[in-house]
Amino acid sequence: MHEMGIAASLLDAIRAELARYPGARATRAGLRLGEYSGVDRESLSFCYGVLVEDSGLAPLALDIEFEPRGRDLDLIYLELDDE
Amino acid sequence: MSRIPLERKVLGENDRIAAGLRERFAAHQVRCLNLISSPGSGKTLLLEKTLGSFRPDRRVAVLTGDIQTDNDAVRLGRYGFPVRQITTAGACHLDARMVDRALEGWQLAGLDLLLIENVGNLVCPTSYDLGEEAKIVLLSVTEGEDKPLKYPGIFSRASLMVLTKIDLLPYVPFDVGKAVEYARGLNPAMDVMELSAMTGQGLGNWMAWLDSAATHGMP
Ligand SMILES: Nc1nc2c(ncn2[C@@H]2O[C@H](COP(=O)(O)OP(=O)(O)OP(=O)(O)O)[C@@H](O)[C@H]2O)c(=O)[nH]1
Ligand SMILES: [Mg+2]
Repeated sequence: MHEMGIAASLLDAIRAELARYPGARATRAGLRLGEYSGVDRESLSFCYGVLVEDSGLAPLALDIEFEPRGRDLDLIYLELDDE
Repeated sequence: MSRIPLERKVLGENDRIAAGLRERFAAHQVRCLNLISSPGSGKTLLLEKTLGSFRPDRRVAVLTGDIQTDNDAVRLGRYGFPVRQITTAGACHLDARMVDRALEGWQLAGLDLLLIENVGNLVCPTSYDLGEEAKIVLLSVTEGEDKPLKYPGIFSRASLMVLTKIDLLPYVPFDVGKAVEYARGLNPAMDVMELSAMTGQGLGNWMAWLDSAATHGMP
């Protein structure tokens, strides 16, 4: 099981993108997860839920867009609360 | 509320290190192969037989990954070629950084071939590029011919599928034709071979594949 490591990398990717919007808070992140990416969707959701709590980014929802026969594991959007 | 569209690889940091490794391998003309299978499919024994049949001046080295123990490095170290164990301490796969660290102190210029035995696991190693030229998946005949259907990630990416332990075919119900059909259904360009590291049957094809200068497709 490597989904903990993947979830940690996902949070790092989110932090790196957020750094470009100083002061903004992210409320939702979108991930494209390929069927052949080697990553299990349920397990990743679970691990993400655990790690995000202590990340300083919570609450930050994760949407997973499943891609049949795909290989991607990509962060595809962030929703910012920019008021 | 605003939505920012992105295209950022979650494993981008690993991919970056792997790209650096791939450049170094190319610069020194080192052929790097990443062997992946479930635990016990016969990766180490195949590598032992491979090293055992190379001439002593063959410019080859091996990295072998395991969660615990250096048993495999001990087995592989008996043949006179450089071998290093990577102990992942829990991680179920090798990543590019581990390979990068393990190569420290080795002169790539002195190598033609770098064989990497990944941690025994058909899932996790799939996601991590190690800078290899090709992934090789091993499937032993005791595991059942449906494995390509159950683990499509690795079978869709591997350039070569090696069916191992064919000396056991008389004792286990394993449909070679089906295994190949399932694997090629995911990956029509995949090379396939059958061998027994134990008896030596089919090893010639494997040695020829290793020696072939042809490019077997990038991962
Ligand atoms: N009958 C038979 N047994 C084999 C063959 N190849 C390997 N074995 C046996 O299968 C067992 C596992 O082989 P290894 O080479 O250690 O397998 P591995 O894939 O390196 O295992 P891990 O590194 O633990 O994932 C050993 O007992 C081998 O002797 C083969 O061709 N025929
Ligand atoms: Mg082994």
